[in-house]
Amino acid sequence: MAKNPIELEIFKNIFVSIAEEMGVTLCRTAFSPNIKERLDYSCAVYDAHGETIAQGDHLPVHLGAMPLSVKAAIEHTTIEPGDMVVLNDPFRGGTHLPDITLVSAMFLGRSRVPAFYVANRAHHSDVGGISPGSMPIAQEIYQEGLIIPPVKLVRRGEIVPDVMAFILANVRTPDEREGDITAQIAANRVGETRLRQVVEKYGPKRVANLAAELQDFSERVMRSTIRQMPDGEYFFEDALDDDGFGTGPIHIKAAIRINGDSAEVDFAGSDSQVMGGVNANYAITLSATLYAFRCLVQEDVPYNAGISRAICVIAPEGSIVNARRPAAVAGGNVETSQRITDVVFGALGKALPQLLPAASQGTMNNVTLGGIDPRNGKRFAYYETIAGGMGGRNGLAGISGVHTHMTNTRNTPVEAIENYLPVRIRHYGLRSDSGGCGEFPGGEGILREYEVLADTEVTILSERRIGRPYGAQGGEPGRCGRNTIVRDNIVEEVPGKARLKIRPGDRLRIETPGGGGYGQAK
Amino acid sequence: MRIGVDTGGTFTDLVMLDEGRIRVHKVRSTPDDPSRAILQGILELAGRRDVSDVAHGSTVATNAVLERRGACVALVTTGGFEDVLRIGRQTRRELYNIMVEDRRPLVEPALTFGIRERMTAEGDILIPIDRAEIERLAAELKERRVDAVAVCLLHSYRNSSSEELVEKCLSDAGLVVSSSHRVLREYREFERWSTTVLNAYVTPLMARYLGTLETKLGSGSRLRIMQSNGGSISASAAKASAVQTILSGPAAGVVGARAVAEAAGFSRIISFDMGGTSTDVSLIDGAIGVTTESTVGDFPMRLPIIDIHTVGAGGGSITYVDTGGALKVGPRSAGADPGPVCYGKGTELTVTDANLILGRLDPSYFLGGRMPLDMERTKAATREFAAKLGMSDLALAEGIIRIANANMERAIRVVSVQRGFDPRDFALLAFGGAGGMHACEIAEKLDISTVIAPKDAGVLSALGTLLADVTKDFSMSILRPVGAVSGEELDQLYAPLVSQATQDLQREGFDDDHIGIEQSLDVRYIGQSYEITVPYEPSYREEFDTHHARLYGYANPRRATEIVNLRVKAIGLTSKPELPRLPGKAVSQIFSEDMRHAYFNRRRFPTAFLRWDALEPGAEGTGPAIIAGAEATTVIPPNFRFRIDEFGNIIATRTGELRSRKNHG
Repeated sequence: MAKNPIELEIFKNIFVSIAEEMGVTLCRTAFSPNIKERLDYSCAVYDAHGETIAQGDHLPVHLGAMPLSVKAAIEHTTIEPGDMVVLNDPFRGGTHLPDITLVSAMFLGRSRVPAFYVANRAHHSDVGGISPGSMPIAQEIYQEGLIIPPVKLVRRGEIVPDVMAFILANVRTPDEREGDITAQIAANRVGETRLRQVVEKYGPKRVANLAAELQDFSERVMRSTIRQMPDGEYFFEDALDDDGFGTGPIHIKAAIRINGDSAEVDFAGSDSQVMGGVNANYAITLSATLYAFRCLVQEDVPYNAGISRAICVIAPEGSIVNARRPAAVAGGNVETSQRITDVVFGALGKALPQLLPAASQGTMNNVTLGGIDPRNGKRFAYYETIAGGMGGRNGLAGISGVHTHMTNTRNTPVEAIENYLPVRIRHYGLRSDSGGCGEFPGGEGILREYEVLADTEVTILSERRIGRPYGAQGGEPGRCGRNTIVRDNIVEEVPGKARLKIRPGDRLRIETPGGGGYGQAK
Repeated sequence: MRIGVDTGGTFTDLVMLDEGRIRVHKVRSTPDDPSRAILQGILELAGRRDVSDVAHGSTVATNAVLERRGACVALVTTGGFEDVLRIGRQTRRELYNIMVEDRRPLVEPALTFGIRERMTAEGDILIPIDRAEIERLAAELKERRVDAVAVCLLHSYRNSSSEELVEKCLSDAGLVVSSSHRVLREYREFERWSTTVLNAYVTPLMARYLGTLETKLGSGSRLRIMQSNGGSISASAAKASAVQTILSGPAAGVVGARAVAEAAGFSRIISFDMGGTSTDVSLIDGAIGVTTESTVGDFPMRLPIIDIHTVGAGGGSITYVDTGGALKVGPRSAGADPGPVCYGKGTELTVTDANLILGRLDPSYFLGGRMPLDMERTKAATREFAAKLGMSDLALAEGIIRIANANMERAIRVVSVQRGFDPRDFALLAFGGAGGMHACEIAEKLDISTVIAPKDAGVLSALGTLLADVTKDFSMSILRPVGAVSGEELDQLYAPLVSQATQDLQREGFDDDHIGIEQSLDVRYIGQSYEITVPYEPSYREEFDTHHARLYGYANPRRATEIVNLRVKAIGLTSKPELPRLPGKAVSQIFSEDMRHAYFNRRRFPTAFLRWDALEPGAEGTGPAIIAGAEATTVIPPNFRFRIDEFGNIIATRTGELRSRKNHG
């Protein structure tokens, strides 16, 4: 039972609303389509130790990973009043390079020790590297883009021009980057201001105590959820198609051990890290696992450090789920995270078969387009992800054409794309018969067809082109995705991970996987 | 004689302006045919006298969507894009809910027809319409007996000729058509098409309803319908396109709130309408705030509507403890049946019950005495619940109120702080069944100094309907960099919108002296996705920077900007009678003979219990006081003073901090 059930509820609202107000500022003033249209960002408030107090309901993939950024900022820099630390290094608090995180500290009175932190993370359209959009098929991280270790971007309230210049000199669309980073700075300022008002009103000690209580609260809810699961050890295994350089399938194995009100998730036996960029760092594996457990909780519980206390995640170092430098990681965040979720859900399904759904599409179908727009001679770099089928649930068919699990980013309107890029969308619709059959069938995938109007460099990072999203309780698996190019009326197959140059008039067709079915079809 | 009518779920409210006096009347609603109650009410209110104007706020369109009782709609769209409305923005509504539900579509997949055609983003025809194909389609739609057709083609905001062609072909065949460029001439296909389909879905039902009502009213009365943008529109215009009447009920309430506040001398207010199950808040900064981001049922509706933020909590919200041990209030509500514990039937504690326990309600004079409250029953339920939590009854009751107030405070922050306004610059205008019981304490949390409880709170929507101007909104996406379009060219682009707007109002019976035209622009920095609407004046570029800085804390005058949409609002000014003042009395101090006890900040205060009807203009008093009216109760905490103004409103002002015995804020 909570020490003070009334205060707890009031402060839960306060902390969550701070994170949400930060998010409003970020998305409304950002320039990258990824942030403003697709809402690929997260904002959160942390305690003096860098542990999450509350995070806005933004992106699941940032869940467990964001606090590691704050901790990296604390570890590698000395944050002083008015400073903000920027970073994207996947091996020092980041996830993949396009996700740039900005951490600020809040000091009280004359104290030199931060009392709270706020941070936000946003997916930028380009951070350099070998492919426009910085989601390349690379062999090591150095090819993927600019690596930013934790450094101060803002010092005593002023942007450090050298650091900003250094970042902007290494990206393809510096103007847009500058706008996005400005939006991120503004979002942190909103968070700091709000937090300061709250502390002034309620007193620092009380706010800190309630933050701790809020973490305890989430822990209690998580533990009571785990307690309802039968004790035991549950195994599951699934695989990534390949790494884009001929290695595959890449297996991911998990053993979940439920013991009373705590759980251990052990990825022992998963394959070693690979050359191509589908390696996940520990932050991603943690996020995906916590997300799966969070889905079992029925209540409105804030996502914070308490959630993770009941769950121990073991990932062997050097494996696909805990890669070491200099592994390429662009796809770890977007693709491998989905497969880790499939595996954890699969294992949980052994414990709770009535509750867990069939696999969803299990990929984000990352498409990056880059080149020079002939209309104005300017460089463009555009990145998007495409939805697919959701797995069938016990009692409900899977939803069609929707983002699932680790992402929930919006599409860019066809009319927006065509106004701003030399691209024409020829088809955007559901892909019939792609959902797996079952008593509750899987949702349908999507077919999106792009006709390019300029010489365009295309990078595709997609999964479930070979393996299929599994069915549950006797349901059929969903259909695989498929990538093709239509050129002069000839259809060419394109592998799941590919980098290619196409000409005006060529059509790129991405067909996304359907969800698995739940239960035997009658 | 003019009458304003608001049809609610339970009551139909009528307000009549008669020789400078407001007369108010309520009749039971007749949901099977709302016009019955309206006519009965008019007859009872006006008798045999002629009623020249009837202004009507109706939930017919809203309910049609929420209850899925709208028209059988076919969708005609660009081939290859038939699923745009199903996919939406490809997101799910809840992140962590495995059982998250899909949107329920308004158009059956079998009634969606892709046609061969294509427009480019520049407005050039890539694939022209094949007339023969449309004629075949028209025949098929006739055969299928659809009620309405939504025509939604790509890039029609840029060049509407293809949509017009399809529209003409289908109309000629006798079909009722909504075209996306007419409903919302803005880019972003999902939102434009969704708004268009909503229009097709509600218009036939609305047209039928208004037809019946007009016939029954007879030709002597002019019927106007409230719109969600805060203005009204003639019945004939609403019959042709009804989507603007969705969400008009709460909009009328805000218009009424503004009129009442303005008369009382307050131009900057936050209206706070707290009912039994939900609460609506809205900010009025002289003008009423407008937004284009709303959803109806599961679908976006992008026409300008009054910016109202709704939260699912009110006086009937139920209290419970969740598995983590936090005390929750709402969103589940006891509603009218079984209602709060104190009503005698319900078994779960609600916000209203907590107010009763704290002595903030008069059990014998609730709703003017129409509903006696069961104190013993409520005490027993509170004791039982509090014992489980190991706290006192009073601490629990006060906790429930604090949590409810915190939820309300958050809602008010959304419409003020998140929109770049400081709530301290506003007065809080409280209405709805529970508004007056919470407003002062919420005002204190937000550092707001004045609370207004309007006398005619129960009929603000009907009053708003009566006082609303006739308005029409027009917009058009142009997507042009600010530097690339001259003032002259902008004027040219505006010209057709302005002339259309003027003509429409002339058709509504306004002469040029009574037509106002407001032009504005949606501007953003090139590359952003959200626009800010600024008035179309020579300084609009600077104005945009100012707004951006106010909203988001920064601006960059050197960064290139882009005009996304042109907007024109046409206003037909209706005559606005002054609200009647009550006979003036000298300032007098209130002394209550009925002193009881109520609790504020865990302290027991001797508290004056007063009847609103017995208080005359000029009367003044200090808190704590409980003022019971026929529709609602107003709670004045110990650190507030209050007075009754010449309209009978209660104006409460904060006099200082209320210290509590224990510091728990």
